[in-house]
Amino acid sequence: MPEQIANSFSAFVGNIAWGKWIGVCFLLVLGGLLASFAARSVTGFMEDRASRHHTVMVRRLVFYLILTIFLIAALREAGFSLDVVLGAAGILTVAIGFASQTSASNMISGLFLLLEKPFEIGNVIEVETTIGEVVAIDMLSVKLRTPENLYVRIPNETLIKTRVVNRSRFAIRRVDLTVGIAYAEDVSRVEDILLGLARQDSNSLEEPKSFVLVTAFGPSSVDLQFSFWLPSNKVLEGKSQMMVAIKRALDEHDVEIPFPHTSVYAGSHSEPFRVELLTPEHSRNTGELDVDQKG
Amino acid sequence: MTTAAEQPEMKDGEWALPHALNPGETHYHELSHTQVWVTLLDQEWQIRYQRMPDDVDQQRWLQTVSQVLPDSELKEQRFVRPDAGTQVNYLPVMSELPMVIRPYQPLTIPADSECTIYVGTLLWMRIQVGDKGTRLLELPLADPSMTWVGRNTMEGELCYSAATFARLVLDAVPKRPWRAITPVHIVNRQDAPLLLERFNLPTPLLSLHRNDMGQLWTPGVTVTCETGMNSARLRVDHNLIAAAGKCTLVSAAREQSSRGGLVRAYDRMFG
Repeated sequence: MPEQIANSFSAFVGNIAWGKWIGVCFLLVLGGLLASFAARSVTGFMEDRASRHHTVMVRRLVFYLILTIFLIAALREAGFSLDVVLGAAGILTVAIGFASQTSASNMISGLFLLLEKPFEIGNVIEVETTIGEVVAIDMLSVKLRTPENLYVRIPNETLIKTRVVNRSRFAIRRVDLTVGIAYAEDVSRVEDILLGLARQDSNSLEEPKSFVLVTAFGPSSVDLQFSFWLPSNKVLEGKSQMMVAIKRALDEHDVEIPFPHTSVYAGSHSEPFRVELLTPEHSRNTGELDVDQKG
Repeated sequence: MTTAAEQPEMKDGEWALPHALNPGETHYHELSHTQVWVTLLDQEWQIRYQRMPDDVDQQRWLQTVSQVLPDSELKEQRFVRPDAGTQVNYLPVMSELPMVIRPYQPLTIPADSECTIYVGTLLWMRIQVGDKGTRLLELPLADPSMTWVGRNTMEGELCYSAATFARLVLDAVPKRPWRAITPVHIVNRQDAPLLLERFNLPTPLLSLHRNDMGQLWTPGVTVTCETGMNSARLRVDHNLIAAAGKCTLVSAAREQSSRGGLVRAYDRMFG
């Protein structure tokens, strides 16, 4: 019995066309090497000439193109007919499609993202509650690096379905600050102070012009909206500097920034509230003490 | 803070004139709205600068060399010495971004007429050190304001902005060592008057030249407005105007104008 097994095994091994399979492996390895070499060359060539986004896209395209050519050549070498492979792939696609709907949906969404190009690598985007810099746009997902230095993976499907805010698309941004001032203050005087601050601030742009609007009569303050424009790369520091400058300027000009007040009004027809201070002499003995004070 | 009163031996500063310092010495400058300290140590160069109050109206560029180290409260920038050379050289350079010139009072140029306005622009100081003249940094000699020039808030470019008196008489232009004078010749070929509220001066295309009196000049700029307010042709002249006198080149333009020639069409020349 063991002899029979050994004989059949040697016959099986002897029947394999080793030369052909070595050729196939060689083609696959060569394809992988050439594809990565070509991708690296493309990166080196495009780095200084194009944006990071385009460089990455072309690099991937070159890599997968070369790899596919070598894969087809390897399949032919192995004796597979391409028609049969494609036919099998069709049946396989249906089977896999049912099994991996999410992945397929993400891949198609990724394709649409590449075509629509709502953001590029290096842009800062906001998706739902996540803000971060785009570090990679891949087949299934987009990777973000958040300001807290977290690596966040967002599926392409989510990006197609939800609202995405690109914070780096335009070179300038408007910042709206809400400034509350007391009802006793002169609004136009405060408006002049705020516009003066925008003129003095070196980050704030002269054009488009800054402006001040009265937005609400709040419970304890008159609310003003102070809007000014900043270069997109200076929004955080520019906004903070401006808020510090507003506080300082309003303090210097004795403009009150109110906090919530509550006025208690007794009404004109009633007596004012009686307030009596209780001192030990006025306090009445309300009853016997529970314990003997002398101890 | 070091003030002019404490430094009786202050001399007038000059561009592109190398100064040799000994290790431990500090070269101090007061010009425009800026104080600059350049210190040479055994292994490093240190640069400190701060703005002076706006109400100080400087007329001259004052400088002195002292053995005393600057105030430790000043923020310093340290640079490793690129070579054994002890010279420091100060070069004026035009701004990296175009400068939008805004006359305090708008000027109207009637139909089919032309004029020349003289514009003084803010300069940046480039500090170079050592035998090879290694560039350490460039600092603006006052805080420049920024503005947006474009058709809308999506398309356009960031520019520096400066207010000007848009003087039509050259003698009325104040000559300061830290301001470069550019003659801007505006030709209005339209049928309608041209109201000059803002003008986009392409400072990166302008080279800087110095005359015998130490004044800085750039080549003239000719702007021809033919069809409308929003488009104009701009040409940077090859030569300086005769009024500049005999000049030598101090620093070349940051960018060369395109198309070999000197013509550029601008979309938003006049704001």
